[in-house]
Amino acid sequence: MDYSVQSRFDQEKKCWSVAVSGEVDIFNSQDMKKSLTDLINEKNADMTVDCAGLEYMDSTALGALVAVLKNVKNYGGIMRLRNVRQNLLKLFRITNLDKAFVIEADAETEGEKNA
Amino acid sequence: MPEKDRETEDIELSFPVNAAYVSAARLTASSIANRMNFSVDEIEDVKAGVSEACAYIIRRLVTSQRSGFRILFQMKHSELRITIETDGSLTEPADDGMSLVMIKALMDEVAVRDCGERISITLVKVHKTGLFER
Repeated sequence: MDYSVQSRFDQEKKCWSVAVSGEVDIFNSQDMKKSLTDLINEKNADMTVDCAGLEYMDSTALGALVAVLKNVKNYGGIMRLRNVRQNLLKLFRITNLDKAFVIEADAETEGEKNA
Repeated sequence: MPEKDRETEDIELSFPVNAAYVSAARLTASSIANRMNFSVDEIEDVKAGVSEACAYIIRRLVTSQRSGFRILFQMKHSELRITIETDGSLTEPADDGMSLVMIKALMDEVAVRDCGERISITLVKVHKTGLFER
């Protein structure tokens, strides 16, 4: 299954900028959790996850993100999710996790709101 | 039950206890829902429902060469009925609360039968935008 995590540290904003793409489910969610946790352990900082290329995630992937969120919050950091597709936003709402994360609306969603 | 729902087209697949194949189950579910003319949002619901049910069952099955699970897709005139059943020994129940919450929110009908030796999950998506003609 296609899945990738690309990361870079933004020195100016003191923030990890991470792009997750592909499909994350029970097969690779622990791998994603380890990749993101390793970044936080390497440098305690805020984290922004760009989900533009993320096509699908299941409950185990949501659980993995919650574990990373706890890790970030432990030292007072902020975790943001950006460009989350509508089908995935629905899963966040169903599980009430939309209230736990800072989810920044993408351009498409903003357009729908203003229409 | 509508008269036309007495006739179904069925597809049955068998999977080993290997999380690598959940994506194959999802892809098949998506393809079948698309053939039945479900809307894009409904197809996403079916995909996610099947994926969660597979994950729920994989977490409970003991990994062995004889273990696995079967998925039966029944394409009816007014609904898609999907039954996922275990075939093998089970482990102790895990904390699967989030899986079940998601499945129940995404599908129109959900039935989970867990007798300790066997699990069967039935998911139903009802056609709201049109009916399926073979």
